[in-house]
Amino acid sequence: MKYTITSAKVGIVGTEFVPPAGVNIEALLTHGFIKVETPSDSPAPKPAKTKEPAKKD
Amino acid sequence: MATSTYLSNPGVEVNSVSLTDQCTSCTVTSTIESLESTAFGSTSRVYTSGLANNEITMDLYMSYAATETYATLAALVGTTTTVNVSNTVAGLATPSATEPRFELVGCYLETLPVISASMGELSTISITFTGGVLTTATS
Repeated sequence: MKYTITSAKVGIVGTEFVPPAGVNIEALLTHGFIKVETPSDSPAPKPAKTKEPAKKD
Repeated sequence: MATSTYLSNPGVEVNSVSLTDQCTSCTVTSTIESLESTAFGSTSRVYTSGLANNEITMDLYMSYAATETYATLAALVGTTTTVNVSNTVAGLATPSATEPRFELVGCYLETLPVISASMGELSTISITFTGGVLTTATS
């Protein structure tokens, strides 16, 4: 599980929060100090289709 | 004669949240309980070390604003957490021999005064974290 800091009281907002030993994660989540970084539901973008140039004989 | 002065201005973190700007007093106490081991034939009492029983007490201004005192502590009552205290704010992030960081891991918060109000005064609370393993980081 990956966490992101959402309060400056914890650290730099937007950076990853790596919980130190003994820290109560639920308490931080409950009151909005950090959030869970959820992976995007949409599938990974497909590579753009490119037409190969027509071969000239 | 004092060779250096220490103006109390520590850094305080509770459950990874900085409460330095709300804290007015903080005491970290390292205690190893004594067990009496005096036996017949002794002429004076003798003690040996027992369990560690550490404690951190702090006085805080109460604030119900987002991510302040109440939000930090409310969900910790009846649970264990980690509290870090250093003699300077810099010592929290980069501890050194002269700026040690005292870490109490697994300490228990039994009570939280949810309202402590008096006419004409800023609301303050006193809380105590008990138990846990106390370590000192100097690097």
